[in-house]
Amino acid sequence: MDLIIDIIKILFIFTLIMGVFSPILGWVERKQSALMQDRVGANRADIFGFTMIGLFHPLADALKLMTKEDFIPQGANKVMHTIAPFISFVPALIAFAVIPFGGEYIIHGKEINLVIADLDVGLLYIFAFASLATYGAVIAGWASNNNWSLLGALRASAQMISYEVAMGLTIIGVFMVYGSLKLTEIGAAQEDFFKWGIFLQPLGFVMFLAAAIAENKRIPFDVAEAEPEIIAGYFLEYSGMKFIMFWMAEFIEIITISGIVTTLFFGGWNIPFVPTATLISFFSSLGDTWANIITMLIHIGVFFSKIIFFIWLQMTIRWTLPRFRYDQVMKLGWKILLPLSLLNIFVTGVVILLFKK
Amino acid sequence: MAIGIVKVKRNVKMTFWERSYIPEVLRGIAITSRHFFINLVGFIPAILFGKERKIFTVYYPEERVKYPDAYRGRPILVLGDDGVEKCVACGLCERICPAFCISIQPAETELDKERYPETFTIDQSRCIVCGFCEEVCPKEAILMSQDTEIADYDRKKMLYRKEDLLVAEKDLRMRQAYVRGAFARWNY
Repeated sequence: MDLIIDIIKILFIFTLIMGVFSPILGWVERKQSALMQDRVGANRADIFGFTMIGLFHPLADALKLMTKEDFIPQGANKVMHTIAPFISFVPALIAFAVIPFGGEYIIHGKEINLVIADLDVGLLYIFAFASLATYGAVIAGWASNNNWSLLGALRASAQMISYEVAMGLTIIGVFMVYGSLKLTEIGAAQEDFFKWGIFLQPLGFVMFLAAAIAENKRIPFDVAEAEPEIIAGYFLEYSGMKFIMFWMAEFIEIITISGIVTTLFFGGWNIPFVPTATLISFFSSLGDTWANIITMLIHIGVFFSKIIFFIWLQMTIRWTLPRFRYDQVMKLGWKILLPLSLLNIFVTGVVILLFKK
Repeated sequence: MAIGIVKVKRNVKMTFWERSYIPEVLRGIAITSRHFFINLVGFIPAILFGKERKIFTVYYPEERVKYPDAYRGRPILVLGDDGVEKCVACGLCERICPAFCISIQPAETELDKERYPETFTIDQSRCIVCGFCEEVCPKEAILMSQDTEIADYDRKKMLYRKEDLLVAEKDLRMRQAYVRGAFARWNY
């Protein structure tokens, strides 16, 4: 029974991310950038004349990329060149396993916890896999036997290592406030609106978002790709499905970052001012099980609405800001984010010492 | 014609507010998301009140922009009102063409102009659309059209013969007027 529930949860998350979010994000990126720049955006792919405001473009993209030649450049390391997209794709997908998309519900006397793997070291797990993704970029660039790719890989490794430090340290404040690494506990602790991470750790939120976007190598921190400077950086020599795997890894990482931000700073699945108990008692006329099921669905909806908001925010940032210069990226990482996150830890510790006696 | 000279400010000292970056980022995001939301709901006033949207995209194959008369597309030959091409096969355009894309085979005719081109071929794959042929032509017989869609799959199809190049003079009045105005000072 537990196994079936786990498989259902895995399938739910997998289909939602791979089947719904990541193809649509390609469309969202085009369409949102178009709207922000007073353009129309992709609307030409059609089936029997129906264009569906460009929603067929992901389909057309998939067809195109699948039928493309899988090109491995001369002098490239074939094994490493093939394996690199998987190394960057799998960690991005796997990190979602510890993010809770709902609380605990009792359905037919069975307690259901809406997280695939409720690890005690949830956030450390995410960091571990986020740093594994670095290898994908580095190996891809190194194995391609291309100068631009190698430059991109070097930039990616330096940038991701620098920002991992800052990202880890910004999160420590959150652990100190909630006293747990378990993401379900952090989520459950934010049932009260004024205990959301954004109020307890405002500086931590801004710094974490910056570090996470840098970790994902998106504009304004995309020096590792930097089309005008080093063409496309580490995935320059990729084509077809391997190329789309880097592309999807980026999109899935957007979703994962949104999930982490939502869980840590924006109350996870909780609705402001409406605790879970109130919601269940509101639907109690339907019977205990149905009340729990409806609450669960509402919470899942709330969680994914928050994720959609943060995806929108990241897309907006990506299409608003220009790229940093490489030295500026390093300066921001080491000279600003690192000291500020240490200061954040210090202030948080002092406040906890003073007020939590 | 005094053009306003703008002095570029270099190494501008930014205030602390600007250097702290976050408020300026928020300002930028506010601007872009304002455009986003205006365009997101922009179709509602467009449908209800017929108000024009801010989007100025031209749906190219269906909609086209009218080019100005000064625009240089692929060169064409003028077919006079009497149904005979104006060209007298003097060969000036052939001589001046920097890409050597024009080749003319002249022949004699009973008409007043005495000479006419038996074949007149423009290799569009070589033509650089410079407009020298139009400028040099003493008879206004070759003009630049507004046609830009000259791509093809085969280089042999890019050879435009006389039949492909002839266009009736009545369709070319605007360009003729422009050419007369532009090159008038050299017409002596």
